Amino acid sequence: MGVISRWVQERLPVSGDQLRELTNEPVPNHLKRWWFCLGGTPMYLFVVQIATGILLAIYYEPSPRTAYDSVRYITEEASFGWYIRGLHKWAATLMVAAVILHQIRIYFTGAYRKPRELNWMIGVFLLICTLVTGFTGYSLVYEQLSYWGATVGANITDSIPVVGPWMKSMLLGGADYSERTLSRFFILHAAILPATMVMLLAIHVSLIRLQGITDLRFEDDDSEKRTFNFFPDHLYTELIMGLVLMILLSVLATVLPATMGPRADPLTTPEVIKPEWFFYVAFRWLKLFSGTFAVLSMGFIVFVMLIWPFVDKWLLKRFPATEMSVWIGIVGALTIIGFTIWEAAVAH
Amino acid sequence: MGLGEMSLRFKQFVIAFLGLAFLGSLIFVQYMEVTRKRQESGLADSHVAVPDSSKRCVSCHEQQTAGIVAHWEGSTHAEKGIGCFDCHEAKQGDADAFQHEGYLIATVVTPLDCARCHAQVVEEFSRSHHAAAGNILASLDNFLAETVEGNRQPFNPHSPTPGRPDIDSVNGMASSFLGCQQCHGSKVALQSTDGGKITVDDLQPGPNGQPTNREALGKIVKDQNGKPQFDSGTWPNTGIGRLNLDGSNGSCTACHSRHDFSPRRARQPENCGKCHLGPDHPQKEIYEESKHGVAFRDLKDKMNLEATDWVLGEDYSQAPTCATCHMSGHSKNGGRITHDPGERLSWTNRPPVSLVLDTDINGKVVKEADPTKRAQLVVHSAESKRNEMKQVCSHCHTNDYINSFYKQYDDLVVLFNEKFAKPGQKIIGALRENGLITDLQFDEEIEFTWFYLWHHEGRRARHGASMMAPDYTHWHGMYEVAERFYMELIPQAREIAHQAEEEGNTDAAEKVNAAIEAILARPEHQWFESGK
Repeated sequence: MGVISRWVQERLPVSGDQLRELTNEPVPNHLKRWWFCLGGTPMYLFVVQIATGILLAIYYEPSPRTAYDSVRYITEEASFGWYIRGLHKWAATLMVAAVILHQIRIYFTGAYRKPRELNWMIGVFLLICTLVTGFTGYSLVYEQLSYWGATVGANITDSIPVVGPWMKSMLLGGADYSERTLSRFFILHAAILPATMVMLLAIHVSLIRLQGITDLRFEDDDSEKRTFNFFPDHLYTELIMGLVLMILLSVLATVLPATMGPRADPLTTPEVIKPEWFFYVAFRWLKLFSGTFAVLSMGFIVFVMLIWPFVDKWLLKRFPATEMSVWIGIVGALTIIGFTIWEAAVAH
Repeated sequence: MGLGEMSLRFKQFVIAFLGLAFLGSLIFVQYMEVTRKRQESGLADSHVAVPDSSKRCVSCHEQQTAGIVAHWEGSTHAEKGIGCFDCHEAKQGDADAFQHEGYLIATVVTPLDCARCHAQVVEEFSRSHHAAAGNILASLDNFLAETVEGNRQPFNPHSPTPGRPDIDSVNGMASSFLGCQQCHGSKVALQSTDGGKITVDDLQPGPNGQPTNREALGKIVKDQNGKPQFDSGTWPNTGIGRLNLDGSNGSCTACHSRHDFSPRRARQPENCGKCHLGPDHPQKEIYEESKHGVAFRDLKDKMNLEATDWVLGEDYSQAPTCATCHMSGHSKNGGRITHDPGERLSWTNRPPVSLVLDTDINGKVVKEADPTKRAQLVVHSAESKRNEMKQVCSHCHTNDYINSFYKQYDDLVVLFNEKFAKPGQKIIGALRENGLITDLQFDEEIEFTWFYLWHHEGRRARHGASMMAPDYTHWHGMYEVAERFYMELIPQAREIAHQAEEEGNTDAAEKVNAAIEAILARPEHQWFESGK
């Protein structure tokens, strides 16, 4: 053993074998299939968001007087600013899509069932955090639509019974959107939510390691060995996914770069206010029903999602012969897709 | 094949390939960034498309007049493949057409040429006061330049100019050509074989711009290559109301400098400052003194001047420039630009007495005093024009603020009109009607005095008020108007009357003195002699 190795070994008492064992956990064969690698995708995009977000924060100034100009400076003047902002924007979009796809995969393969109920719930919290991070990030640009989107968001919060007004006041830093609002959105977007997500992800991944990955055996998988090595096999797969994603992000950032709408004008309400695409379903729901009912029913749906492993258990007991959860999942997914398309297709 | 079913070796190849592809994408991003920075710093040209019809022009003029080509390469025209020939193309029979390297071209590009692509813009421009600026050729100002300052005919020098024996004649029109006409526009002329000039008046062009007078066409002097020879006094000229050989009025290059036609430049006040400055209409200086101009200097870098449409309230809101208020589109009019800068003006402060800018079907100011007849003549009212301007103001100011500003502005204009302009006009009128001054302008001191009062100081006061420049309204304006009126106009008029009286022309002297005394007896003038 060389001098350097010994020096390191004395201070970091982990042997190569231990390290290999730690990283080389066998993973089930179904992870050889493309669609089962989506869990790593949002995590990878999250890292991209942290890196690009830090770079953007160097120039971003969170106040109504400076926010729009600082984003314009990033987009039009700062070196590579347009590229970093493009990566950030597209990674956000892909991250939301990846989290949803991951959740759909977990749902339809029943991977949330015992003993993984808690990890499902953490996943739902991660989804909520991802969506709120997207919402606050969109608001930071301080363009006309993002400003009015934030205002509508705050008003929706206001309609929650009992705590709504207080929540709105906390979000906006007062009764209305003011000088103090953007800094709150910025702190939420760049500190509180990412830190929460890092903690949740740590627990999420730890639980996966402790409980192991759900083993799904496919009919055409007749191999004797039920697992394969994490290192280097699965790591290579994740690397390929990461590189494909990075190339995709690069292409999107250059071909469809992040643009800027008109500067926010608090005195002029736009004819059409639209949130980011991933809120279309909620926006449509809010348009269909009156304020408080819409908000409460949406909260109820999210709550049911959160406790779904227990609801599912009850359904299995009650209707053992039917695949109730699958049918509910199909109806739910179709409703989400339908509402999203509906909202995208109409002006109001 | 699933991912895990690939061999490790194959996965390594895929990773290496994708890694290189990602590296390639980063190199592409770097290339884009470097290109962008070079374009922004002027080190590289944006994408240029040279149309086939202009390739020969570009290849030759890159050597001959590299600046022209470089300017064009930085233009939107170059990006869109609009080349030299597209603008300089001439038709057989055009007065100034000539063969050049196999192409029939004309040197002067007129609004009629620009209208081939920008018809709406040219239509707006053609009904503007800008397009009529060449009418100065028959005005008082031009009499000053052509006669008072110069001479309409060349005259002999009265002593030699050492070192320049070739100077054997004085061009008395030089001040007019280089002064008035470089802003207002010349009447472009070709040399005639009979020693005279051939202008639009001689060519009598039809609606397509081609001359109908074949005789005049036949007299055009051409060089050995067949190129028509311009009268050097009238060309080069980029005056905004230039009277072109094809019958069109104006010069688009007055604002859109050739050959880059930069919209960015046209949006900046310096562009208007070529003409709108100086003692008689210092609009640019007035603007610079105003809060608008101060904000522009401070925030220019943030005003998105490169934007394609440059719509106030969408592309920028930091400060207005001349173009913003008088021409550019804004978020409340759907971004509609106008090339008639008079569309949003409610007063004309150009004449001695400001007029309400109600215009008739021909765009002329309606001077009819009878309300019923006036209402029948007005097609475009001053009020509607003012409302158009108010829309611009309302991007940053409340309605109360805007209306109160207009009240202040109206009050100043009316004060000038009623206290000094109309009385001054009356005194000069009385002197002329009674034969105490001649009909000829500028041959008496009092005519200069009156000219200074309304044309220089009076306009400064009114323009200063119109664009929120207090120093121009007061010290460079009303203060000097008052001093000129009380200390020069009145004493000079009285002196003329006194001399007339001494010469026995008592009737005329009494009438002039009566007019002066009636004015000075008005409440607003009573202070003047109350201490005597």
